[in-house]
Amino acid sequence: MSKVYFSTWNGELINNINKPEDEWEESAYNLPAQYDDHRDSKAFIGWDGVALFDADVDVIRLAMEYAAQYQEYSEACGRCAPGRWGGRILYDQLDKIARGEGNIADLDHLKEIGKSMQITSKCEIGKTVPNPILDLMTHFEAEFMACIDEQKPSRHYNDTVGYIAKITSPCADACPAHVDIPGYIEGVRDLRFDDSLEATRQTMPLAHVCGRVCPHPCEDACRRTNIDEPISIMSLKRLGADWETDHGYDFFHPMKKKPANGKKVAVIGAGPAGLTTAYYLAADGVEVDVYEELPVLGGEVTVGVPEYRMPWDKYLQDIECVRDMGVNFIVNHKVSADEMREFEKSYDATMIASGTRISKAVRCANERPEITGYWGAIDFLDRVNLYEKFDIPLTQAQKQEYAIDADFVDLTGKTLACVGGGFTSMDVVRCAIRAGAKRVVMLYRRDEKTIIRNTTYEEYHEAVEEGVEFIFHSAVNEIIDEDDVLKALVIDKFELVPDPDGGRAQLVKIEGASETIEFDYLIPAVSQSADLAFLPEEWELDMTSWATIKTNGKDYMTSRKGIFASGDCEYGPMTIVNAVGQAKRAASVMSRYIHTGEITLSDDEIMEDHLRKLKVYDKKEKVTGWLPGLPRQHSTVLDVDTRKYNNEEVNLGFTQEEAMSEADRCMRCYYIAMVAT
Amino acid sequence: MINFTIDGISVEAQKGETILTVARKNDIYIPTMCYISKTTPCASCRMCVVEAEGVEGFILSCNTPPTEGIEITTNTSALENERVNIMKLYDVNHPLECGVCDKSGECDLQNKTLEFGVSQQNFSARDQSRKIEDWGLINYDPSLCILCEKCVHVCNEVIGDDAIEVKFGGYSSTIIPKNNDTLDCTFCGECIAVCPVGALVSSDFKYSANAWELSRVPATCTHCSAGCSLEYETRHSGINGADSIYRVKNNYEFVNLCGAGRFGFDFNNQAEKDEAAFNKAVEAIKSAKAIRFSSMITNEEAHILELLREKLGLKLFNEDARKFQEFMTAYSSVSGKLHHSGSLDAIKQTDAAIIIGSRIATDNPAVRYALTTASKHNGAKIVYAHPMEDTLVQNIVTQFMKYEVGTEEGVIAVLADAILQDADLSEDERSFFDDLDLGYLYAESNIGDEELRDMMQSFKRAKNRVLILGNDLMAHERAVNIAKLAALIEKYSDFSLVVVPSEVNTIGVSLINTLDKDEDIIDVVGYNAKGNFAISCFEYANLSVPALNSQEGTFVNIDNRVLPTNVALSFDGYTLNDLAVACGISSENTIDYTKELNPNRGFKNIEFDNLENFLTPYGEDERGYLLDEVVCEADGTIEELDDLPEFNGTVIYHSNPVLQFNTYTNNSKQLEKDRTLRGSAQFAAAARISDGDTVEISFDGETVIRNFKLETDLKGTIALNPTFDSVVDASKYRFEKSKIVRVINE
Repeated sequence: MSKVYFSTWNGELINNINKPEDEWEESAYNLPAQYDDHRDSKAFIGWDGVALFDADVDVIRLAMEYAAQYQEYSEACGRCAPGRWGGRILYDQLDKIARGEGNIADLDHLKEIGKSMQITSKCEIGKTVPNPILDLMTHFEAEFMACIDEQKPSRHYNDTVGYIAKITSPCADACPAHVDIPGYIEGVRDLRFDDSLEATRQTMPLAHVCGRVCPHPCEDACRRTNIDEPISIMSLKRLGADWETDHGYDFFHPMKKKPANGKKVAVIGAGPAGLTTAYYLAADGVEVDVYEELPVLGGEVTVGVPEYRMPWDKYLQDIECVRDMGVNFIVNHKVSADEMREFEKSYDATMIASGTRISKAVRCANERPEITGYWGAIDFLDRVNLYEKFDIPLTQAQKQEYAIDADFVDLTGKTLACVGGGFTSMDVVRCAIRAGAKRVVMLYRRDEKTIIRNTTYEEYHEAVEEGVEFIFHSAVNEIIDEDDVLKALVIDKFELVPDPDGGRAQLVKIEGASETIEFDYLIPAVSQSADLAFLPEEWELDMTSWATIKTNGKDYMTSRKGIFASGDCEYGPMTIVNAVGQAKRAASVMSRYIHTGEITLSDDEIMEDHLRKLKVYDKKEKVTGWLPGLPRQHSTVLDVDTRKYNNEEVNLGFTQEEAMSEADRCMRCYYIAMVAT
Repeated sequence: MINFTIDGISVEAQKGETILTVARKNDIYIPTMCYISKTTPCASCRMCVVEAEGVEGFILSCNTPPTEGIEITTNTSALENERVNIMKLYDVNHPLECGVCDKSGECDLQNKTLEFGVSQQNFSARDQSRKIEDWGLINYDPSLCILCEKCVHVCNEVIGDDAIEVKFGGYSSTIIPKNNDTLDCTFCGECIAVCPVGALVSSDFKYSANAWELSRVPATCTHCSAGCSLEYETRHSGINGADSIYRVKNNYEFVNLCGAGRFGFDFNNQAEKDEAAFNKAVEAIKSAKAIRFSSMITNEEAHILELLREKLGLKLFNEDARKFQEFMTAYSSVSGKLHHSGSLDAIKQTDAAIIIGSRIATDNPAVRYALTTASKHNGAKIVYAHPMEDTLVQNIVTQFMKYEVGTEEGVIAVLADAILQDADLSEDERSFFDDLDLGYLYAESNIGDEELRDMMQSFKRAKNRVLILGNDLMAHERAVNIAKLAALIEKYSDFSLVVVPSEVNTIGVSLINTLDKDEDIIDVVGYNAKGNFAISCFEYANLSVPALNSQEGTFVNIDNRVLPTNVALSFDGYTLNDLAVACGISSENTIDYTKELNPNRGFKNIEFDNLENFLTPYGEDERGYLLDEVVCEADGTIEELDDLPEFNGTVIYHSNPVLQFNTYTNNSKQLEKDRTLRGSAQFAAAARISDGDTVEISFDGETVIRNFKLETDLKGTIALNPTFDSVVDASKYRFEKSKIVRVINE
């Protein structure tokens, strides 16, 4: 809700012209009236309209500067005849009027060109740039006419005014890493896979990973949904990365590595957040040392995500791409508090990206870690993946602890229950199937719909196909053991009871429905917490209420200067793309901090946050100019009987034909937003 | 199959077709400025917008597939209005230099401006100053460029050079060399061909003639076995000047041409009727023991030579065609048919290809372009098996299988073993594979078990597979057994087979002539080849005969298609037919023999003048005809493998640089002639030579002097030695153990 002088945003018409300020009607939208701590916005202009926060805005110049941005935003523009010439004409005609040399015919030409651009441009930039310009011409006609009639320059034509613009799109706005999605899809459509990959890597170094295992929140903000189904955004990302790997190319970096600037940064943890921080800082000329506790790089994506979902040879490419930027990796190195104190002196900044690697308890009776058969999800997946991907066998002690004879997690003849509902629990049950378990049960408190929402439709259905049993509305009440060996679980059943007051439905235990089921293993995968024992106590870092490191969620500096945190250890267990997004932003903040000692956001980042708040995607928008009913492509997955006995990648990815036809559905919804300060 | 209507007409769309392609197939006109059939839609001009019943707004027809039952309208006043506006925009600040522009008279912008009646300009924008770029054979004028992006799409998706890109920047957008200050590419000139305006032009042709003054002669390119269609454009070179070829054009909408075809057209010769030389030539033939000739010859000429052989009892020497013939005879003995099954079109459709024994990008650019199309459009997995890597094909190759020089027989055997693992082979055939000493073959050929497994894994999803064999196999000592193994793969798997001949008419000659093994004897008449008496179109001729661009007749190309070619420039001297007449073999014209070509070899009895020579508006090839399939007796058996040879030390590989093929290209003024021995730093170290050295190369009893050029793109201890300047015999096995000695210049 913003206080505005005038607004046409998203079809609203708020007109407070000539009204005293205390009577101003408010806009229904989160428009950026305050640019940052020390600057007000005078106006905001974008794809969907224009808002003025100040009566003294030069609307003609505002329109002209917005048209100029269209010329500036080269990466998305100059790709079609109406946009290329039309955009230039808009700018020239507006400038002519603004400098006091316009005539009435220019207004007609502006309207005619504007309309042609709206109808025939290639992408939404060309289609939407005329929108606010035509709005201003309609609602401030007198001002335009005055400049024409009197042949005088517009109000502030010769003054210095700050105009800050940003290009966005609904999908990139919704992506936590703000990946240039229309850019990489365009690369696929034009069969320029190097361009596609470079578009991804501008903000996302893990192209193989996020082309395979991202839960793709972007697809929930895909404008194509408004006419049929969302684009299969994630799957299209993989093409550029696969192309680079298949043809044995050197890594395509979207930027040239800057010469060394003498600054050093330590990164704790080589998972997605650590890798991302390292990549962008190294590209900026910073010497980066990444410390990893495990013998292998990649964090949870390596030891957590199974081979069949994320093949190691592909993830290794992403990691090698980071290394190729000149990053140093130190593995098998668990950082201590003393070292952290030392790092503070020897490095210009430190990034903590240590993830969340402690499996939380399921909170049932007799839940004791010493019971054989009670096995934390993180540890379980570590053992599976270290063997499958790196041939690291179980130690004698581990074999004893897990009651397994083989060198690897062999569950032949065993039964296993997993409590969870997120990706980690899905990985556990599907790995258990592949480990030969006789019976695998997922216990979940809520229903099928929720588990799909928390993971993906594909993930859930593939698990069902492979033979995982799902018991919904259930929870473990008690572990039954014999001499500290797990024998069975007492499982309670629940039902959803609607709240008579219309609130959220409550889970109520069904008395007498509990049953005891025999199991050999219980894998708790409800959530994970961060192991932050290596933080020096005297630092007294601010923590969140769920025991993760606290930052303001914008610059990712902790309460201690020079110490940053990103990824799961900051946010709590979340997605890869979330970790990447945080770490990318943090790297940018750090690259300035190490030189100036100041914590700042770039204009691009400030605009990014404003737009995220405003929300770029509008699910009610009526989309025209596209033929509806073109089906979303689905990639082929390995047949269930083939895949459940091995670790081969389940999702085969798009064929070229499928990829091209999917890319052609993308509507290139680029938009320009601009603030005048 | 999707049924819908366009302008009330019921039409059908296949999977993958767009509204525009269906409209074109049904002869419904939708205007475009940026569409080109052989690439993905550029979608930049926005002229092809149409309306769909019940859908608000205009829909782009070039990249939208139809949906069931949709009613499309292509021509309403609203659409017309927007199309006119687009043309008005295109015309903003377009330089008014049609009077001198190369494109004038065949310019899409000119034509569409007229079509849409844009008679005045009511929009304007400030103009910008822009520099014309000189990129060698190609010039680029950004002021004339309409940013349709056709050139960029073709370069990347069809040719594979990926050498140019759009530099984005709204109105200042422009085409620039990719990752380079100047254009560094194979100079195919396809960007010139597809440019709808005068922005990309040939620097040689520039300002030399108006489009409407040129006569167009449809012909077939003579530089390699692809036999690409082209048109020679000719005009008199002055008031009383003789005709000359001004440029070459191709049907760029559907097919391609490499730089040698496009820029290497001026190899024609001229002669008067020299009766004395003619009589000597007749005598030479009558007294000759043999005629030696090259495969750069029409079928009709080859037929005349065959008649001369029969009549005069002389031998015919042509090692290139003889080796091909031997290879294909062995192939037929297993496959039971005369011709290989694949074609360039099959390569374009493929999603899994193995290419072995050829440096294909320079040996046959058309195969490279077909593979580029397959790679980009079908995501084809392409295995490139060769002792040397080639950076020109890195962007299409998904697996490089490096084998040891000389081990081709072992390589084809292990490939066949992998591919035919589950094939329904005869008992003898199965026991051949069972008896293979795979350990020995893997070790000596350097092709590992794991590589073969990777290959089979990457081919798993493929639907159209093709095996492409290059000249290294045909010229190999063990060619016969290699051919039989290749035939076995074709016979028992879903691989189609393409055998890549070396010269434009290697196949034609191999089908028409009875060839003897070349002997070093005297009394040999050379017909465009070495001999004691030289009848040729080249400088050293004792009797001059016309070059192939002054001849009519037919060739058989890699597709087994009989292709007609025509006279671009007339020739006043004698021809082979005149000599044949003097020897008592009577026929008025050379092309009278077109219908006489042997039907037992697949030829049809069609008069030359009845052969078609065009592509349909839908891109179907209507040039000449495809050879009929001929059934042969399949009585061949696979022989046991020979021991694999070893090639140690410095090895050279006879292989031409880009744009060079033969004496014709060597005589063309525009084409770069790189006669150096090109090698890697490793080669230089092994041979103890450095960049720029003059070196003496000795191999197989021959000695050649060349300059050495160090190439950073190359790896390994094999250097590339060109053959286009005729210093070595191109029909030999192309790898040679050689001795390299630096020549000390005083």
